[in-house]
Amino acid sequence: MTHILAASNPLDHVYQWIYLKSGEGMFGFTIVSNHTIMQIIAALLLILLMPRFVRLRSTGDTVGDLTPRGFGNFVESICSYLRTEVAKPILGEYTDRFIPFVWSAFFYVLAVNLLGLLPLEPVTRGLTRSVFPDAHHGIGGSATGNIWVTSTLAVVTMGMIVVNGLRIGGMHFIAHFCPGPLWLAPLLVPVEVIGLVAKIFALAVRLFANMVAGHVLLAVLASFIAVMYHAYGWLGGTGVGIVVVVVSVAFNLLELFVAFLQAFIFTFLTALFIGQAIVFHHDGHEEGAH
Amino acid sequence: MIKRHGIFLSACVCVFLCVVAPTMAADEAHGASEGPNLFTGDLGNIFWSLLTFVAVIGVLGKFAWRPILTALQKREQFIHDSLAQAKSDREAAEAKLKEYEHRLQEARTEASAIVDEGRRDADVVRQRIHADAKSESDAMVARAKREIALARDTAVKELYTLTANLATSVAGKIIQKELDASEHERLVSEAVAAMGDLQSSGR
Repeated sequence: MTHILAASNPLDHVYQWIYLKSGEGMFGFTIVSNHTIMQIIAALLLILLMPRFVRLRSTGDTVGDLTPRGFGNFVESICSYLRTEVAKPILGEYTDRFIPFVWSAFFYVLAVNLLGLLPLEPVTRGLTRSVFPDAHHGIGGSATGNIWVTSTLAVVTMGMIVVNGLRIGGMHFIAHFCPGPLWLAPLLVPVEVIGLVAKIFALAVRLFANMVAGHVLLAVLASFIAVMYHAYGWLGGTGVGIVVVVVSVAFNLLELFVAFLQAFIFTFLTALFIGQAIVFHHDGHEEGAH
Repeated sequence: MIKRHGIFLSACVCVFLCVVAPTMAADEAHGASEGPNLFTGDLGNIFWSLLTFVAVIGVLGKFAWRPILTALQKREQFIHDSLAQAKSDREAAEAKLKEYEHRLQEARTEASAIVDEGRRDADVVRQRIHADAKSESDAMVARAKREIALARDTAVKELYTLTANLATSVAGKIIQKELDASEHERLVSEAVAAMGDLQSSGR
């Protein structure tokens, strides 16, 4: 045990471990990895459980039919909060049109984040090796700690921004890319395009970095035990171990909070960016474009 | 929170680099060339992310978000309707209360008017009955007085006649002289006249 702790790199917990891949490098195709499996588990859990949670009983009377029960209360309170407090002020009349996407983004990111907190890796290592003999690492880890995953989610958001910006915002959305006189267009349009890409890039990196940071932090804390054991023997290992366990519990709770917080931030910014692309208020900034 | 998190992370990484990294240097020497790194990934990750995310959007959109959205909208509508209904009910109740109060006031006024009128009527009747009784009793008294006067006059007249007759017969006996009928008549008349004068002077 101590040998494993000492030998392992703290970043092992956040790396993607590919079990089966066709092709080489970034243009290859990962068929199975710990992260893809976590994503599939997250999606399956959501798809299988969520419809059960939100099902309302039909009691025959109006009030009973509209009352959620059990875990549905939890899901619905989050949904209701995101709809009235986050989406409505930003999206206005388009709230109910985009709210399914907003909810999906929140719960998908949240599910992947929370699954990443489960210490599945040591448990599943044997199972993984029995299927993929070359595997160095079991199933587990946070798929949102993978920049490819967060980038894909962010690009889907960008797709929503551009497609709905053109469809609903129309000329307003296009005019938004040149918020000054026309002769400045060659300068302003690239800046605005870069701005859009930067927003999306920030969205991807924010989620990725936060999830990686928490996991690395916990791994580094755990590695102190091995270091102290090697340096000062059992006494040192135990002494530091007590401190590390207490601090790790606190940081795990913090991670739990961060899992929700980052899911919320991702969702909030998604709604905000979509809102900026489709909802135009006639302020000075807009009038300057005409 | 995140900033503090980041500072703590940086501190831990520094400690790690100083303390832990040298102990790992030997291990890293083995397979550093082919191990994964923080940015390991490829088109497969894009595919799986898209697949799982779009599946979640699609399936939940139909089987979870639609029911929940419908329920939220229905509830909003229900609450809105209930509040509107309660408001209109209260307004109707207030209007009805006002109407009833108005009617009650009217009824009260009417009742007191009726009582006043009854009292006035009773007063009039009482006065009329009183007047009638008074006039009737006055009439009765007057008639009785008249009858008394008549009876007295008759009695007095009869007394005169009787007295005269008696006086005449007594006088005749006294003078022992038979008076003839005409002389008797004349004496009686003289006596009556004298008595009448006596009565009128004595009254």
